[in-house]
Amino acid sequence: MSGNLAKAWTIARRDLRGRFVGLRLLIVCLFLGVATLATIGSLTVSITEELANRGQSILGGDIEVSIAQREATSEELDALRDEGDMSETIRMQAMARLPERSDTQMVELKGVDELYPLYGQLTLENGDVAAKPSASDIFVTPALMQRLSLETGDTINFGESSFTIAGVIADEPDRLSEGLSLGPVAITSLEGLKSTELIQPGSLFESKYRIKLPPEVDPSELADRLGEEFKNQAWEIDTRNNGAPGTRRFIERMGQFLTLVGLASLVIAGIGVGNGVASYLRGKQNAIATLKILGADSAMIFRIYMLQIFAIALTAIVAGLFVGAFIPYLILQFAGDVLPIRPDFAIYPLPLFVSAAYGFLIAIIFAMPPLARAKLIPAAGLFRGEGNSWRSIDRLTWLAVGLSIAGIIALAVGSTKEPTFTLAFIGSALGILILLTLLGTLIRWLASKATRPKQPLFRLALTNLHRPGAQTGQLVVALGLGLTLFATLAAIQTSLNNEIRNTVLSEAPSFFVLDIPVERSEEFSSRVNAEGNSAEINIVPTLRGIITEYGGQIVSELEEIPEGAWVLRGDRGLTYSETVPEGSEVTSGEWWDADYSGPPVVSMDEEVAGVLGLEVGDSLTVSLLGVEIKSTIASLRAVNWRNFGFNYVLVFPPNILANTPHNVAATIQVEEAKEDSLLGILPSEFPSISMVKVKEITSQISTILNQMATAIASAASIAIFSGIAVLIGAIAASRQSRIYDSVILKLLGATRTQILSAQAIEYAVLAILLSGVALGLGLFAGWFVITQIFEFTWQPDWGVVMLTLAIGAIVTLGIGLIGSIPVLSAKPARALREL
Amino acid sequence: MSQSNAATSDALEADSNIAIQAQNVTLSLGDGEARVDILKGIDLSIETGSTVALLGPSGSGKSSLMAILSGLERATSGTVNIAGANFGKMNEDELAVARRGRVGIVLQAFHLLPTMTAHENVAVPLELDGSEDPFSIAAEELTAVGLGDRLGHYPTQLSGGEQQRVAIARAMASRPTIIFADEPTGNLDQATGDIIIELLFDRQNATQATLLMITHDPELAKRCDRIIELRDGLIERDSVT
Repeated sequence: MSGNLAKAWTIARRDLRGRFVGLRLLIVCLFLGVATLATIGSLTVSITEELANRGQSILGGDIEVSIAQREATSEELDALRDEGDMSETIRMQAMARLPERSDTQMVELKGVDELYPLYGQLTLENGDVAAKPSASDIFVTPALMQRLSLETGDTINFGESSFTIAGVIADEPDRLSEGLSLGPVAITSLEGLKSTELIQPGSLFESKYRIKLPPEVDPSELADRLGEEFKNQAWEIDTRNNGAPGTRRFIERMGQFLTLVGLASLVIAGIGVGNGVASYLRGKQNAIATLKILGADSAMIFRIYMLQIFAIALTAIVAGLFVGAFIPYLILQFAGDVLPIRPDFAIYPLPLFVSAAYGFLIAIIFAMPPLARAKLIPAAGLFRGEGNSWRSIDRLTWLAVGLSIAGIIALAVGSTKEPTFTLAFIGSALGILILLTLLGTLIRWLASKATRPKQPLFRLALTNLHRPGAQTGQLVVALGLGLTLFATLAAIQTSLNNEIRNTVLSEAPSFFVLDIPVERSEEFSSRVNAEGNSAEINIVPTLRGIITEYGGQIVSELEEIPEGAWVLRGDRGLTYSETVPEGSEVTSGEWWDADYSGPPVVSMDEEVAGVLGLEVGDSLTVSLLGVEIKSTIASLRAVNWRNFGFNYVLVFPPNILANTPHNVAATIQVEEAKEDSLLGILPSEFPSISMVKVKEITSQISTILNQMATAIASAASIAIFSGIAVLIGAIAASRQSRIYDSVILKLLGATRTQILSAQAIEYAVLAILLSGVALGLGLFAGWFVITQIFEFTWQPDWGVVMLTLAIGAIVTLGIGLIGSIPVLSAKPARALREL
Repeated sequence: MSQSNAATSDALEADSNIAIQAQNVTLSLGDGEARVDILKGIDLSIETGSTVALLGPSGSGKSSLMAILSGLERATSGTVNIAGANFGKMNEDELAVARRGRVGIVLQAFHLLPTMTAHENVAVPLELDGSEDPFSIAAEELTAVGLGDRLGHYPTQLSGGEQQRVAIARAMASRPTIIFADEPTGNLDQATGDIIIELLFDRQNATQATLLMITHDPELAKRCDRIIELRDGLIERDSVT
């Protein structure tokens, strides 16, 4: 076998010296696809690796214990200090107020001790490395300076205290581990924070205890031990290996999604690979027949051309990997600020290996069928000129194709943490692929059955769509898939933007207000009503707790949080209510009586219950301020999460939680003109509250969505480039027959304009059909994602979607016509001699 | 040569003086109404070392008969025994192996591999057959056809006549028992064609291979030991010159 391979390779190498028209298409398509995947993979891994490498400074320690709404007890503190140097911080949302000015701004206020930060440095804009501020000093971020027009040395108030701005923060080392921030950051000392008197029983704050461990201590083992030891204390423990879980999850998911988009592009590229290989092998028909005459059997023919194709594929893949490995460097240089963390540039072998594997599998899937046909080219063709006798493909080839498809699915599913989504994406892409294949066949069939136009140029255009060797089917699939992807993304993106612009801003309240003392809630309502004409205010009790057990499953014993079970991560909001909360509907079980006084029961969101496999009657334990409440699920609710109110997964009867120290939260809907006056008045009169202006949040979300859309569109644009490569390949493949047509038409008296018109008609028909198909499929896919997955209103920007498709159609038409220029310039006399 | 030997394992017992033996060979293409009977029962026996011209009008079945006899196509029915091997019982791949060292083919359009030099073109059949020193033999053969100084030239760097010389060298390189030539001068001018014919007969004489040649030229046919004329898929005349 190796001797045969060596013999085949010798002949293959010699045979490759000639022009490899067709294989250029294979090179371009594989290069584009692999480079895209390698870029996405490398960038994702570089960010997640950086998160892991800088785990200590991102987390602020080797291990971190977070406790919601309380500080650690002296017993807990002693236990933590036994493990190493320990630093304590407290973080909460608070309203910054200015003396003698009505400006306010919600701020992430953090109090730190003298050991902060255990790792990394808190640096100021003037280059100083900051030590813990004094109780009356505060460091703030440039964003806060800008929003409130502050200068260093100005005074700023929080709660009952005033602070002097002692510096502007340039780098807060543990910023990423602090999670989502609703406002700019301000850092003072623990003493300073406590002097605000914002830390009250029931107020929403988070205490964090970071420990610097001796080198020999394994943080994961310690986390397990502490988790077991203090399992009833509602601790959330993170280690340096997972310093910013939210960011890491986001990057990993974004990377996975972009990889799938890249994979869709690679499938389109695969069509180009198949066309390129088929076109190349068609050009080799005579050589294949000659080799057979000289004694090469079909196995030898297969080996010769397989080695050629895969040698070229390997070159394209290696080039793609090379470029894909270095594009992250450019992204880091020119768009690094958009990323959550700026990693140093490095080469990461794993994503490159995975991208190469995808490239090879795609090459096998699309190159094997034409290779299998090529080996069946009969030697007798040289005698009778019957080279194009395509025979059916053998089972072994189908097996190789099938195994490669299975390999791609296994690779995609194996490298994702959301296999269901991945399978659904691959399934949808395959479905669209099959649909487009059928449509391509249908278009050819319809063109063959349509009444022949009387005008000869129209007739030629129509017959070009279904003539033997016409590329209509492949073009419909390749360009159709690319345009469908773009139409889908355009529809989804514009629909989401409109959702935010139209629906969120019209239905959402003006403010979310947190930390209203429960005893002042009526006073708060009256003040709002007095200030804001016809203001709508909705007040709910708010507490935070951690689910520690569900249906007998101890959460800390789970190896990994199940897909969709976000509710098990960290502490979650809880509330109590006598009646079914607004926006909820009981779907099973029964709601408790208003004066319920029995053992602990709870009502749960039915969707979350479904993910956890819980039903009415199952147990659920929540740890709240260090106390475990073991309750029974009394009812399940369908929750309308889109009503922009305070919705809770878990609702208890008042008798279970009302006596626990807590505050209340409120939504306020007020006319726009009154927003600023409420923002000026309420924080002064109720110093403990935090007010979130919804417009600011939606603008942040819009920015993030647009950044994500740009990243996705960049990955998807490769699909279009691949589609264009397929189009160019198709034009090249049919060039000989088109030159023949053109020459004959010229002989019969047709002008170049007339011939070009025929081509224009053909490509226009194709472009219009493809745009129509892409519009239909793209709108359906977009509608499905928006209404069935996001559960939003379907409101795409038709102009943008149409413009996207119009550009696609014009590009298709344009490239088709540009590709026709060499055909038009063929000189009849010379062409007739050569054809 | 081992593969060639293996391929002849089921060879028919045959008279060693007979290079080509065909009995009641038919060839039909297509099915039903589209069926065309190209060969309608050919019986033929050609002695080893002889030269035979195959004549006939276009569509008479000359090329089809040559394709079957050279193992490039399977007959619809009948038996074909070529240099001791029963071609009729072999599939396409077995035929490819059986051709090695047994059959050399020269075509009207030369059909050299355009990406290979003259030297490499001639070496290919030897390499496929597992020859130990294909390039020395190829060089000798090219020298024998007068192209010893053009070994490194590609087909596009050679004239039509030179390309056909390379094709003859390639056909002769593995010392086949039978040479099939399909209008070998059809693409050449008269003068070049004459030179090529001389060369073909010289090489046939030197190797004592059997030569079966399709031609439209009656004068050329007369140079052969025997002339077989085909018409409408049947042998119309078989004469010795």
